[in-house]
Amino acid sequence: MNIVVCVKAVLGSTEVKMDPKTHTIIRDGGEAVINPFDAVALEVALRIKDERRSAGEACTVTVLSMGIPVTEKLLRDCIARGADAGLLLSDRAFAGADTLATTYALSCGIARLGVPDLVLCGKMAVDGDTAQIGPELAGALGIPCAVGVTGLPAVTDGTVTVRRESDAGVATVDVPLPAVLTVAKDVAELRMASIAGILAAEDAEISVLSAEAAGADAARIGLAGSPTQVVRSFVPEGDARGVEITGDAAAQAEQVVEVMRGMAL
Amino acid sequence: MSGLLIDVEKCIGCARCVRACGNAGIEVEGPWGARKARATDGCILCGACVDACPVDALSIERGGTSGPQDLDEYRDYWVFAQVDEAGRPLDVALELVGKARSLADGRGCRVVALLAEGAPGTGAADLESALPPRESVDGPSGNAALLISVGADEVIRCRDARFSTFDAEVHAEWICSLVRERRPEALLYGATVFGRELAPAVAVRLQTGLTADCTMLEVDPETGLLQQTRPAFGGNLMATIVCPAHRPQMATVRPGVFAAPEPDGARVGTVSDVPLDDRLAPRVRLLGVERSSAADSITDADVLVVVGRGIGSKKNLGIARDLADALGGKLGCTRPIVEAGWCDPWRQVGQTGVSVAPRLLISLGVSGAIQHLAGMSGAQAVIAVNEDPDAPIFASAQYKVVGDCVKVAEELLARL
Amino acid sequence: MQMIRPWASEYDEYRRDESRSTGEAESISFPTCEDELRSILSELDPATPITVQGARTGLAGGAVPHGGHVVSLVRMNAYKGLRQAADGAFFLRVGPGVVLSELRRHLHAKSLPAHGWDDASRAALEALYAGPEQFFPTDPTETSACLGGMAACNASGARSYRYGPMRPHVSGLRVVLPNGETLALRRGDVCAQGRALELATEQGTTMRVDLPTYVMPRAKNASGYFIADDMDAVDLFIGSDGTLGIITELELALMPAPRVTWGVNCFFEDEGHALDFVVRARPALDCASAFEYFDGAALDILRTTREDGAAFASLPEVPDAYRACVFVELECDGETQAMEALRELGSLLEEVGGSERDTWVARTDVDRERQRLFRHAVPECVNILIDRRRRVTPSITKLGSDMSVPDERLHDVVDLYRRTLAEAGLESAAWGHIGNNHLHVNILPRDEADFAAGKDLFRAWACEVTAMGGAVSAEHGVGKIKRDFLLTMYGEAHVDEMARLKAAFDPTGRLNRGNLFDEARLDAAVGEPDGIEEAAR
Repeated sequence: MNIVVCVKAVLGSTEVKMDPKTHTIIRDGGEAVINPFDAVALEVALRIKDERRSAGEACTVTVLSMGIPVTEKLLRDCIARGADAGLLLSDRAFAGADTLATTYALSCGIARLGVPDLVLCGKMAVDGDTAQIGPELAGALGIPCAVGVTGLPAVTDGTVTVRRESDAGVATVDVPLPAVLTVAKDVAELRMASIAGILAAEDAEISVLSAEAAGADAARIGLAGSPTQVVRSFVPEGDARGVEITGDAAAQAEQVVEVMRGMAL
Repeated sequence: MSGLLIDVEKCIGCARCVRACGNAGIEVEGPWGARKARATDGCILCGACVDACPVDALSIERGGTSGPQDLDEYRDYWVFAQVDEAGRPLDVALELVGKARSLADGRGCRVVALLAEGAPGTGAADLESALPPRESVDGPSGNAALLISVGADEVIRCRDARFSTFDAEVHAEWICSLVRERRPEALLYGATVFGRELAPAVAVRLQTGLTADCTMLEVDPETGLLQQTRPAFGGNLMATIVCPAHRPQMATVRPGVFAAPEPDGARVGTVSDVPLDDRLAPRVRLLGVERSSAADSITDADVLVVVGRGIGSKKNLGIARDLADALGGKLGCTRPIVEAGWCDPWRQVGQTGVSVAPRLLISLGVSGAIQHLAGMSGAQAVIAVNEDPDAPIFASAQYKVVGDCVKVAEELLARL
Repeated sequence: MQMIRPWASEYDEYRRDESRSTGEAESISFPTCEDELRSILSELDPATPITVQGARTGLAGGAVPHGGHVVSLVRMNAYKGLRQAADGAFFLRVGPGVVLSELRRHLHAKSLPAHGWDDASRAALEALYAGPEQFFPTDPTETSACLGGMAACNASGARSYRYGPMRPHVSGLRVVLPNGETLALRRGDVCAQGRALELATEQGTTMRVDLPTYVMPRAKNASGYFIADDMDAVDLFIGSDGTLGIITELELALMPAPRVTWGVNCFFEDEGHALDFVVRARPALDCASAFEYFDGAALDILRTTREDGAAFASLPEVPDAYRACVFVELECDGETQAMEALRELGSLLEEVGGSERDTWVARTDVDRERQRLFRHAVPECVNILIDRRRRVTPSITKLGSDMSVPDERLHDVVDLYRRTLAEAGLESAAWGHIGNNHLHVNILPRDEADFAAGKDLFRAWACEVTAMGGAVSAEHGVGKIKRDFLLTMYGEAHVDEMARLKAAFDPTGRLNRGNLFDEARLDAAVGEPDGIEEAAR
């Protein structure tokens, strides 16, 4: 069984802060990390691999990312934790991609890896928060998809059974393989690397492909291949200049009650 | 060719761009007095440096991104009207029809609602009997009539048992065939679990843009483009996104952001019943749904009392819970509270918890980590209580109470 | 405003500290600066005992009041200035009430509160922010400790393996003596001649004191006064449990923060392998900043609690086969060096019968945080267990030891613990700073008989550890609850010398009564003040 896990490098979440006075994003000292949702997806893949292998089956886990060259280090870390191989799509031409262009680039990478049985993604990235890559990738690959998987998937004979989020509650579904699953938080914590894993990962080969080497159509990647454009970013009005409620606790409570009355709750 | 353009005449080498960049994608180099910015391999064209540059020396150049399509042929605002398990349109569907109405009026075009009706547990044969009649003596009836009454000019309705399991592929194929045939300029979805699965499935099939989880929609009076605004970085920053050269322009929209119009029974509209392609079949098999009880969710609360680390101890949670009860609301919390084991994970508000959109959110002892702010940016009014006057939470609060949150909560409780 | 406030129930929390023992007092004050403190001292009746408090995180009862007045220094928490020495090192002056976690946060975020600083300090601050990140290395587990308290008990933590305790990182002190006079001490300025020390107060009084004659053990030690030939006067006050004077300002020597910090949990199926590993790794791993230990019983408690509650559910699962864990922290100049250290660590593991596979390596903030949670969860889980037992038998508490021995006695002391615990049939869990041969062996009494047996065992260990050349209190200080161990370690005569030294600084014996000495011993020393000659001005 071949599993591909799509991972994205994001800035260490603890380092992303907003300066309360200037309303600018403070990113100093931010270390790139694997998007936490993708880290969970990797753990899910590794659990499936452990299970398959203990059942005597072959199973490989490949991590795939589109990112800047230093992302290779994160892929190596994934290998240290138990992934078998890594593929990095890295090219200035990929820069500025929206979800559609990213999906296309990832699908080119997957095409290079051969047909996987399972593609796992985090449900969303903590910086973009779009939650679109998984379902778009399923569409691009023409395979079915389950989003927001909340429990460890059970793989049996060409089908994966998962519990997933739905508007009505937690749904249990059978998805025929190959399929894309996007993984919610709290399914499992990514295991830590061992010394043995880290030393092995040091020597592992990570393929780094340019857009051309990945066989990507230049018109469909990066800024050029992105239908959406950010035209403006701004600080929302009003909120920052909130009304200050002063006095001792009793006086403050009195005023808060007044405010709530005004809302006619 | 596209990329980051640096006007070296304007650049003063101040390195604000370097600090704004999270990827070491730009650096400042050169001898003292003549230092200039330079893009590196780390640049992902995110634009953070462009906003940070005090002298407008930076810009992002876009290559020819004109789509292959003849944009003028695309007209009308469409809304995907998602139904619930009982077959009734969700509130967000009505909200979006209302919003689309005002946007379409500005564009001088029509509003069309897409209604996919299946009935859970029924086969194709008895579907009609499980659903309300399509017509009454007064014209359209049931869901179609409701969608018309809140602003739709036309409802495209498809009744098919294959819709009953909420299979995104089946829905996506149906919508794509309609879009290809009828060419809407915009298509809106509720940012529900299903909406956020379906919309990307449609976007990739149609190779068009999609903006997730919008909280503002406007039409640019000059270009006629739909300006889709969504919170970034926990709502402290808003990003406005357009889709200039691809159609339809698509967005998922957060429930509760727009008001649903009062139904107007006098409004007239048409219903077009369409069939579903015979070749389509759901590939995902639904085995069952565990209904989440309303008690175990804070997403639908009108009033939410959210506690953070500043609450001090587990026993003080009782005060917060009493306060929530007294206001007819629910108790939410931040991640550290869950990690401390003081609250169940389903109460966690934030990027790794749930997003909430209550009418009133009372925040007690929450410092306001960006990930938390991301989850509460849908709240209509925020009253924050924290000891630290510089706590980031206050930047997201309409009412700022600097003080001991436990004491204020007790005093509040005494007054309710 | 009246600075001395009569005792009221709202101050009840100031009756206790983390040792969970409690005391009584009649009044309390919260001075905000040295002048306020001095006027409080002059207002109080000279016979009134004074207990000085910081953040009350101590584990030896040093801040528990002993009648009279309580001075809480929590509001003396100003950041006062910064200087940069010629060699580039930075020295930060702070009030004793500054909390460690706040200091760390400000250093990391480059947000030191610098209002009111002079131009020289501001210039130094600019240089500080322009250079590589600086940190203060002392890292007690409880980061809500305050710097004054940490100096008073000479605090240490996991990284004391590399950096030593707090002592070497304090370059200067201001001290108010019980009579209200002040000392301004900078490291290197005033040293003893042999065992005779001469000090001049800022008010012009010259004091000559004879220092005790004992020789301190060659092990990590926080038992009684630091005494050595030709010692620096600053060192006398650090670790004095607040018995000689009140610290009103500290100058902290900052250090460049390590560029790369990796943590490694190494698991073993046998405690002996873990000890062998530590003995071999200490000389081999130059960049190790901490060696921490968790024994099999501690891991068992962790496993049980992890299954029970959500709070620890994010801990990685510890396989049942693991019976011991050594956590090693590596501080390196770069990743190349860290990788080298990791290889070295791996081969050391294989040599002692461990495995490179049975390790958790943290190279990211997320993983480091999980390791931190793991280390903190162990004592937390033991507290939960004891709290459960206390519901049945309220009189029992956790019994935690704090003894250290010289490097070559590591195997011996662990053998001692294992043998005597087994003989007494007591349940225990051990963890702690194995790099310094300093384990906290925690006896988990099931009933009052166990509790009494545990106390007996600790007394026996104090004798044995002293015989091995160790210390009875390696980091928590003596305070009020380990006075008997101090006697065991140094004997009556030397402890009397200490009491006379105290009497020289505190002729009425009013300051922090009950710390180090029982009242009878202190009052006897105060009656015969022979350690001091007060010269004319």
